[in-house]
Amino acid sequence: MVNMADLRVRLGPLTLKNPVMAAAGTFGFGAEYAPFFAPEKLGALVVNGLTLRPREGNPPPRLAETPAGMLNAIGLQNPGLKIFLEEELPRLKSGRVAVIVNIAGESEEEYVILARELSAVPGIIALEINLSCPNVKQGGLQFGTSAAAIAKLVSKVRQACALPLIVKLTPNVTDISELARAAESGGADILSLVNTLMGMVIDVDTGRPFLGNITGGLSGPAIRPVAVRMVYEVYRATGLPLIGMGGIMEVDDALQFMMAGARAVAVGTANFIDPYTVPRLISALDVYLDAKGFNGPENIIGAAHR
Amino acid sequence: MLANARVLNLEKLTASDYLLLLEEPQFAVQASPGQFLHIRIKDSLAPFLRRPFSVAGAPPGKGVLQIIFRVVGKGTAVLSQAKRGTSLTCLGPLGKGFKPTPGLSPAVLLAGGMGVAPLLFLAHLLAKEQKKILLFYGVASITELLPLKRFLPPQVELHLATDDGTSGYRGPVTALLAEALQGGLKPGEMFACGPRPMLQAVAGQNRGWNFPLQVSLEERMACGLGACQGCAVKIRQGGESSYRMVCCDGPVFDGQEVIW
Ligand SMILES: Cc1cc2nc3c(=O)[nH]c(=O)nc-3n(C[C@H](O)[C@H](O)[C@H](O)COP(=O)(O)OP(=O)(O)OC[C@H]3O[C@@H](n4cnc5c(N)ncnc54)[C@H](O)[C@@H]3O)c2cc1C
Ligand SMILES: Cc1cc2nc3c(=O)[nH]c(=O)nc-3n(C[C@H](O)[C@H](O)[C@H](O)COP(=O)(O)O)c2cc1C
Ligand code: FES
Repeated sequence: MVNMADLRVRLGPLTLKNPVMAAAGTFGFGAEYAPFFAPEKLGALVVNGLTLRPREGNPPPRLAETPAGMLNAIGLQNPGLKIFLEEELPRLKSGRVAVIVNIAGESEEEYVILARELSAVPGIIALEINLSCPNVKQGGLQFGTSAAAIAKLVSKVRQACALPLIVKLTPNVTDISELARAAESGGADILSLVNTLMGMVIDVDTGRPFLGNITGGLSGPAIRPVAVRMVYEVYRATGLPLIGMGGIMEVDDALQFMMAGARAVAVGTANFIDPYTVPRLISALDVYLDAKGFNGPENIIGAAHR
Repeated sequence: MLANARVLNLEKLTASDYLLLLEEPQFAVQASPGQFLHIRIKDSLAPFLRRPFSVAGAPPGKGVLQIIFRVVGKGTAVLSQAKRGTSLTCLGPLGKGFKPTPGLSPAVLLAGGMGVAPLLFLAHLLAKEQKKILLFYGVASITELLPLKRFLPPQVELHLATDDGTSGYRGPVTALLAEALQGGLKPGEMFACGPRPMLQAVAGQNRGWNFPLQVSLEERMACGLGACQGCAVKIRQGGESSYRMVCCDGPVFDGQEVIW
């Protein structure tokens, strides 16, 4: 009999039907990609970065293409918690997709309020704390680059919320393992990495920075080797389950992250190139596991360490 | 919404402008003037992102879309080498296009350079509605002049301006338009596409005129679908301003609502 792989993966308290998710900020609230495939196919949908109050976002231009990637400086434009709960979440729930909400705050207090309110409503399987968004002046980055601040923030959010807690790490640090351990000590259930790498483009016609926000976050295949290395390091540094991302376009890219130690992966920028990337990767992963005679993703997770 | 469109033909129109004919019957039926295609020019890492191009025409019954583009960078340079018979993956037709109001005539179209592309398609829609149509078209110099007669319905009245005076009126097309307005031209409504300074100028003057103005804007795009929040322009509506997305809220906006 042919061996049929089971794509389900467990990440601590969380079980996903398959290990391929859509990354925060790249898939909206799901509606934009619904014409291409049913969102319920996703292992999980990490929705647009959410803040307590509505955020207008950064002045344009917000995007710049770079070799094998792009810079973005969206500035967390989003409708805020209230509208999310009233308008977006009900629509998401009707789509039967596993929803993870990515949250960002301008203060510890805001993170705590967001976590408390979101864990009080049904229809969300986990929260992802965005510690690392480099585009917001008062927001994430200060929290995201100091181990002590991360441990403190995560433990406060932990106390305020019953949902599985994912902490998303920034690559813009000297030692990501130290931050991973801090998040673990604060009570994180899962770590996701990496967020975008801070970068910049100068417009040579004007001699000025091109982006309205001056700096932006680099994503896409350009960052993949950096991200794979960080997943590999963090796997060794903590016992927490990991979600890997950064430049995944093809199934081999996803495999690299899983072999480096990620139990699930997220696809961001590639959605813009091919809206069908996530379902394509899920099928290709299935084919790969079957061809190798593996029962499921477990056979490859962390393979690079064995 | 995602299709492999076949390259039927690529024709050089000027030193740096091209006409691309794409065969995609469903898109050709769906497309309306002002909408665009988001084209993966090459399966490569550079150029990497899709590129947005207006639909410049979709002659009825042909199943073909016309794209007119200028080579300005690496993506358009690669596109100018597209081989007949190959295919390009296109998202489309995307965005909200021009919405002519029945009864408002004459329709005045204002085009700066490559901004003429969506207005060519619009002219055909307006012609079907039996409107009087005037096109004010400005380019830098005669060498950039597109052979518009090929793409326009015959009744369009063409007013030409070149910055260097090598053909038609000498000066910016907005000055040519201003003269026509002073001379008694009374537009029913106006549709404009072109460089931002041109649009800003005409939107500014439009405050003193009392006819509707629709403008088609450009911004850098990634998804083209409204998901990434990347292609923001600031829009004022009902006293409140907020960032809207060119790819899904536009590219066509009310000229009076844009905050320049
Ligand atoms: C709605 C819309 C409709 C358009 N219609 C047409 C058309 O019909 N004909 C035509 O010639 N051009 C059109 N453009 C502009 C066209 O998209 C750019 O000229 C093209 O993307 C440039 O790509 P490049 O790789 O050659 O340039 P590069 O400068 O190398 O491109 C680098 C990056 O900047 C982006 N970019 C550069 N210029 C523009 C621009 N003006 N607008 C948006 N993104 C830009 C590119 O897409 C790419 O991501 C349109 C733009 C928009 C937003
Ligand atoms: C346009 C855009 C918006 C993003 N917004 C968020 C966000 O709101 N919160 C967040 O944690 N990460 C955000 N990210 C980061 C992605 O979730 C992901 O971590 C990163 O892009 C690397 O993956 P990729 O190379 O597959 O895109 C954003 C990325 C992009 C490109
Ligand atoms: S390009 Fe992504 S929202 Fe417009």
